[in-house]
Amino acid sequence: MSRFFAGSDTDSDSSSEEEQIQRPQVPVYTFSDDEEEVKRVVRSAKEKRYEELTNIIKQIRNYKKIKDMSSMLNSFEELQKAYLKAAPVVLKEENGQTPRFFIRCLVELEDFINEMWEDRDGRKNLSKNNSKSLGSMRQKLRKYLKDFEDDVAKFRENPEQPDDEEEEERPEAEPDSDSELPSKSQFTKAPAKQQVVEDKDESSDSDDWPSDTDSSSESSDDDEGKYTSMRERFLKRPGGATHEDYEEKERRKEERRKERKDKDRRKMPKDEEEDGEGEWETVQRGVAIPSEKPKMFAKDAEIDLSLVIKKLSEIMAARGKKRTDRREQIELLHELQNVSDQHQLGPAIYVKIKLAIISAIFDYNPKVSDAMKPEYWLKLLERMSECLDLLLSNPQLLVSDTVTEETENLEEAPYRIRGCVLTSVERLDDEFIKLLKECDPHSNEYVERLKDEAKVSNIIDKTMKYLERSNVSSELCRIYLRKIEHLYYKFDPKVLQQKAGDASVPKDAVTSVQEMEKLCKFIYAKDSTDRLRTRAILSHIYHHALHDNWFQARDLVLMSHLQETIQHSDPSTQILYNRMMAHLGLCAFRHANIKDAHNCLVDLMMTGKPKELLAQGLLPQRQHERSKEQEKIEKQRQMPFHMHINLELLECVYLVSAMLIEIPYMAAHEFDARRRMISKTFYQQLRSSERQSLVGPPESMREHVVAAAKAMRNGNWSACNNFIINEKMNAKVWDLFYQADQVRAMLTKLIKEESLRTYLFTYSHVYDSISMATLAEMFELDKAVVHSTISKMIINEELMASLDDPTQTVVMHRSEPSRLQSLALQLADKVNNFVDSNERILETKQGNFFLRGANQVRVGFVPGNFRGDRQNYRGSTNQNWDRQRRDRNRDKDNY
Amino acid sequence: MAGRAAAQRRVPENESTIAYVQADGLAVMKIVKHCHEESTTNMDIAQGALLGLVVDNRLEITNCFPFPKQTDETMDEDEYQLAMMRRLRRVNVDHFHVGWYQSADVGNFLSLPLLESQFHYQTSIEESVVVIYDTQKSSRGFLTFKAYRLTPQAIEMYKEGEFTPEALLKLKVGYENLFTEVPFLIKNSPLTNIMMSELAEMVPEEEGAKFLDLGTASVLEGQLRCMMDRVDELNQEAIKFNRYQQLVSRQQQDKQRYLLKRAQENAARAAKDEPPLPEEDINKLFRPHPVPPRLNPMIIAGQINTHSQAISQFCSQSLAKLYITQALQNAKEANANP
Repeated sequence: MSRFFAGSDTDSDSSSEEEQIQRPQVPVYTFSDDEEEVKRVVRSAKEKRYEELTNIIKQIRNYKKIKDMSSMLNSFEELQKAYLKAAPVVLKEENGQTPRFFIRCLVELEDFINEMWEDRDGRKNLSKNNSKSLGSMRQKLRKYLKDFEDDVAKFRENPEQPDDEEEEERPEAEPDSDSELPSKSQFTKAPAKQQVVEDKDESSDSDDWPSDTDSSSESSDDDEGKYTSMRERFLKRPGGATHEDYEEKERRKEERRKERKDKDRRKMPKDEEEDGEGEWETVQRGVAIPSEKPKMFAKDAEIDLSLVIKKLSEIMAARGKKRTDRREQIELLHELQNVSDQHQLGPAIYVKIKLAIISAIFDYNPKVSDAMKPEYWLKLLERMSECLDLLLSNPQLLVSDTVTEETENLEEAPYRIRGCVLTSVERLDDEFIKLLKECDPHSNEYVERLKDEAKVSNIIDKTMKYLERSNVSSELCRIYLRKIEHLYYKFDPKVLQQKAGDASVPKDAVTSVQEMEKLCKFIYAKDSTDRLRTRAILSHIYHHALHDNWFQARDLVLMSHLQETIQHSDPSTQILYNRMMAHLGLCAFRHANIKDAHNCLVDLMMTGKPKELLAQGLLPQRQHERSKEQEKIEKQRQMPFHMHINLELLECVYLVSAMLIEIPYMAAHEFDARRRMISKTFYQQLRSSERQSLVGPPESMREHVVAAAKAMRNGNWSACNNFIINEKMNAKVWDLFYQADQVRAMLTKLIKEESLRTYLFTYSHVYDSISMATLAEMFELDKAVVHSTISKMIINEELMASLDDPTQTVVMHRSEPSRLQSLALQLADKVNNFVDSNERILETKQGNFFLRGANQVRVGFVPGNFRGDRQNYRGSTNQNWDRQRRDRNRDKDNY
Repeated sequence: MAGRAAAQRRVPENESTIAYVQADGLAVMKIVKHCHEESTTNMDIAQGALLGLVVDNRLEITNCFPFPKQTDETMDEDEYQLAMMRRLRRVNVDHFHVGWYQSADVGNFLSLPLLESQFHYQTSIEESVVVIYDTQKSSRGFLTFKAYRLTPQAIEMYKEGEFTPEALLKLKVGYENLFTEVPFLIKNSPLTNIMMSELAEMVPEEEGAKFLDLGTASVLEGQLRCMMDRVDELNQEAIKFNRYQQLVSRQQQDKQRYLLKRAQENAARAAKDEPPLPEEDINKLFRPHPVPPRLNPMIIAGQINTHSQAISQFCSQSLAKLYITQALQNAKEANANP
């Protein structure tokens, strides 16, 4: 407890103080702390480390005795860490000599493990956990021992040699309790350490004297020693801070140390003896959380390409590791970038580092589902476009994932770099969409983000240009699809102007439709994966539909046969299909193809959840319809807000087209018992309004359409038109169309025509003949239109009438069943049903009687057969049956 | 006039105390007045009490009074009736309660409440009848009065309060013999008759033709629609019963299987000299399904019956009217151009 407290204390106070004292601009490495501490409280630190070590070693011995392998493994790992911490002390105090007791422990451990390993029977008896630990322990130990090969060999040469402190401790470790142990070791340690310190002081400065005292006091009173040392430290601090020369010395020393460290690092690969230490350094840097700017190279180091590459790969090696600080990585890479810029190491390394930065920024977010932070996003955008600019300006550069690490060439002209720009761009695009989805779509933030869309498009354009250079078709397809996905939902007014022959747009201007055409055709021709082509087709259709190219869009849909296969594709493609269908429906509506519009939209609207189908929002959860994961997945699929299709517009178009189809149909088949519904949703709306006892003036879009439908049923076209087209509906729906006035004119015309049809259906039985002129006047239509409409009805046998040309009248034929007749027919149907069910009752009775105990199948089979028979003979026997009944009645009466 | 002819068809053979109903013109007029008032103002059915006396096998209805509207909460109906009868007695009117009357539209009178109240009437006053006045048909020129009594079987059925198919079968009750129709005669005093004939002669020839209304379609349509609804309802009932039958048969099978299994088990146990398993839990295991009551379908069937009777009657009368019209037309033409 106290030990732990002391340790943490030293760390914190030393680091905080250092920052105040030192020049702030000098970047300082974190592990300066340890050394600092060593200087001031040499004994206590060393003691602390060593004590830690000995404690762990003792634990290991205990475990060895009880053969608890898993605990031993833990302790061993602790030991490694502890030694790591102690390493600087060791380096300083023992001149890099590994302490003997530590080596002894390792050797013993190795022997023990080997013994255990050899003992096969014993190994079998071990629990699963233990045997697993044994295996991993053995491997780890082996690896670890490699670092100490020399020491171990030395130790093995003469293991009996009494080493400094360990010697006395060892024999006592087993019988004695813990309390005695530290005192002795400390006692023996003290003189040795003093010596070491004196050695050191010769080389550096001797400001350690004051601290020396507490080590002696510690050794005299064993248990309280630590507390006194702590107190000493507290006491000492003000004193230490006042010594100005002391600070200066410190500074100087630090500089020297840093230099040495840099030298070490450069020596690192060659120098085997220092290898272990070098390794620790890098790890430690990764682990630590630095608040200062990281330092790359030594000041006087000669920076050349290989050095930078080495450094880069060193940084990149830490990538993806659990304890790597990702933010620091990004900063390190930026720093490296600056360094390489200063020394002008060529474009290849520049690109290489840029790519590394980009991937590091991507790595920054640990979760794939979350969006990245805006500041990183901006950084990412900048880096990406910088990188692409450079790539574009340098035709010599080749970045590809086919380049292996061996064939990489960063030095001279035909540069080859391993990496993939395309993947990064795709990832960037995904991140962009994620980022948009994260924002509230009605906030300014969203608008701000959306402004980046241009940048993203720009980046994609650049990537396209770059990839066109290498001309790999699969990659080109991918980037083209990205481009398409940024293009397809955007409305380009120029297209329509060009189509209309507007003078402001030149004939040869490239509009988005043409661009789309070009990209899609490339994909159709070159793509080998089905998915890209499907998506390209869908986007292409969408784009056509958006720009009123109804025939092209329709033909593409029909040619692609996507309707049949779309349910086998992935959800996002299905969503795209739904979006395409929605827009195709809108396009058909604008072109007055009401039936097509209805057919396009009916699948979307019938389910009642177009919002989900278009991925424009989740329905509220209803009794655990989906689990958390499902919801997360669905959220990921959502469309960003700026790509949404207006649902009210969609529904209105659907309902209006349903009205235009359904109302004449209803009028035509008023007495048809088996009338089918064309649009269920529309029917529901009608029903619910009929159920209301008091219908107020329409408020919502739906109510307007329902009111219009009711007016149309009576053939009242002007009321219908007023309900569909008024200020409220304009604001809500119609103004959303690009050429709203055309749509409105089209609607009025259609309403007139369909109202005429409805009128004729509903009231034809009242008339013997109607003059077409009157009809034309009533519906404010051209005579020709009336003529053609009525002719069509006559040809389709919807209206039993003929046209009398000289008088311009429609002469009705009374061939339809009258109201009474159709009612009688309906009644006959109903009675038939009733007879059916009645006979079924009878059959069950008979079946029970005849087939008692028979199995279900026969019971089910026999009546079915019987019923089939009955339908044939019923017509003839019906009357007889009636007569029989009457006779029966009479019999009863007589009786 | 027309109503008098309608009632002569089926005379019940059973030992009914009443052979026919004879109503006074005054009572008839009062009923007609009340019913028309009710139906024209608020489309309600009008109800009232009939007063009169039994003479031999003839029930004479000499007077009547309307029941107060059901909505009036403050008034006690029974007290009102008693008070009414007391007062009528004071003015020397027959005060014997012999039944009640109700208005109806085209024979849709048959219903559960009617059945229930007639049951109560007939159990307390042996001779009581229910008189149905058809407002709609009368307004078309057919004065329609019908008197009905519950058959003894129906009374028996209602007493037992059980409407399972078996019970109905046992009692031999069907929709045909829920009610018996009692002939309904209207008897006027000779003085009234004299005045009637005088009045008849005063009616101009043209006026008489207005009863020859030829608009048959709408009436028939209405009738057909009602009939269709009823048939639908009956169909629902049939389906319900069918479902019940299926349930029962399935349960029966399960039961058989269970019993068989239990018997085998018991045989095995007997072979091993063990006590057999008890068998009384069979009813707990297979709780009998509730039998759908048949009263409602029976009433619906009765309604359909009256509807179809009404339709066929209407049709024959309309046909007759057509012939009359033709004759009239011919006569007119003959008059116009001799």
